[in-house]
Amino acid sequence: MRRALAITRNTIREVLRERVVLVLAVFGLAMALGAQALAPLALGEGRKIVIDFGLAGSSILATLLAVFLGSTLLHKELERRTVYAVMAKPIRREEFLLGKFLGLWGTSGLLLAGMTGIVIAAVTLFYATTPWGAVPSLGLTVLELGIVTALVTLFSAFTTPALTAFFALAMVTAGHFAEDLRYFAHQGAAPVVKILCDAVYWMLPHLEVFNIRGLVVHDVAVEPARLLFAAAYGLLYMIGVLALAGAVFRRREFR
Amino acid sequence: MSRRDLLPLAAGVLLAAACVVAAGFVQAGAGARLGRTETDELLYYPSGYAVRQAALGYETAAADLAWLRAIQYYGEHRITDQKYDMIGHLMNVVTDLDPRFTQPYVFGAFVMAQELRQPERGLELLSRGLRANPDDWELAFQIGFLHYVCTHDYRAAARYFTLAARTPGHAEYVERFAAWTNERAGNADLAILLWKGVVVNGNRYMQDVARRELRRLGAM
Repeated sequence: MRRALAITRNTIREVLRERVVLVLAVFGLAMALGAQALAPLALGEGRKIVIDFGLAGSSILATLLAVFLGSTLLHKELERRTVYAVMAKPIRREEFLLGKFLGLWGTSGLLLAGMTGIVIAAVTLFYATTPWGAVPSLGLTVLELGIVTALVTLFSAFTTPALTAFFALAMVTAGHFAEDLRYFAHQGAAPVVKILCDAVYWMLPHLEVFNIRGLVVHDVAVEPARLLFAAAYGLLYMIGVLALAGAVFRRREFR
Repeated sequence: MSRRDLLPLAAGVLLAAACVVAAGFVQAGAGARLGRTETDELLYYPSGYAVRQAALGYETAAADLAWLRAIQYYGEHRITDQKYDMIGHLMNVVTDLDPRFTQPYVFGAFVMAQELRQPERGLELLSRGLRANPDDWELAFQIGFLHYVCTHDYRAAARYFTLAARTPGHAEYVERFAAWTNERAGNADLAILLWKGVVVNGNRYMQDVARRELRRLGAM
């Protein structure tokens, strides 16, 4: 684990070198301007709109950052051949991959936390009430980000950056249609189709599990059981995807 | 940065600015020439169900966008032709995306009842809101209010004011509305019960009013 953490530290440094912190500054500015511009247009619903757009924007930005930064991380190591220097040391490939995953997840998670902090601060400042519900929402979005990062790590273990980004975004999108897929498959389809659709349904990430933004904006309390269930599902899914990524990366030949 | 480097940079920035301005003129010119009307545009406004599928987990943010669009639609027509044919559809989209968002039910219902003179449609929208938010006293109150002022159905108004008065968290004036409307609808017993509730829970001014009404009804 110590070796994986060394790779994690290095990955965080590498990602921060890409000046991703600038995203925070742009996001903060957009929130401040948005809160001021939308309030008079929203017929008294400015607070709801700022929280909605803030949480949605931070989640979308963090997901895109994880996908696009993550898709090139491993590729760069292979292209620059720095991976040879690392692999010559007593470190297993799985540990290397785990370090990369933790570094990317940590950085995008911190950025997400920063953006959520900006949303909470903006709402407190402009509407004089603090949306504390954004904190559990942040926790669940970090878990969702973990799944996205694990998928990016899996795809980057065997394909190119462009395809990694494409596959990861496709999985995220398909994950939102999982329920529909299952529903339509059970409306009179052939048994083989039903079994196949069920298999795809269980394989796709059910990202809706982590979505409590609709409750947060209406100040509805979230049951602790729901948070625990989401945490368990997220961690298990991440471990499963990373195990697969490790197995794939172990067989990869470096040229 | 040397002067030699600065020249191409300045030229690039100037060219980019000129292109952006020119593109703006072209867009403005094309918009005026093509003359697409508001109604044409909104005829293709998708249903809430379709937008929900495309929102990928960001339904409430999509509802906000639809809400802002609906307000713009109302504002544009208010200062021009005062026709609000699409308001019902717009509010349906917002509330399909975020059924807990109560303001669009109320706003849409009042536009339909007051501006379009179609209180039944307004009541239908509010009833949909109440089904989605049974704990919201304001929706029940607004249904009662529309029945009172638009359809003059005092029995229905009294029923919904009473429902609002029995929903936790309601404003203090709700019980007064419920009591008066029940009295007007001929439900004197219920009116007495509600005035007695005001005597217990109201502020000093409301307690005085409630006692006076109870005396008038012969219950004190």
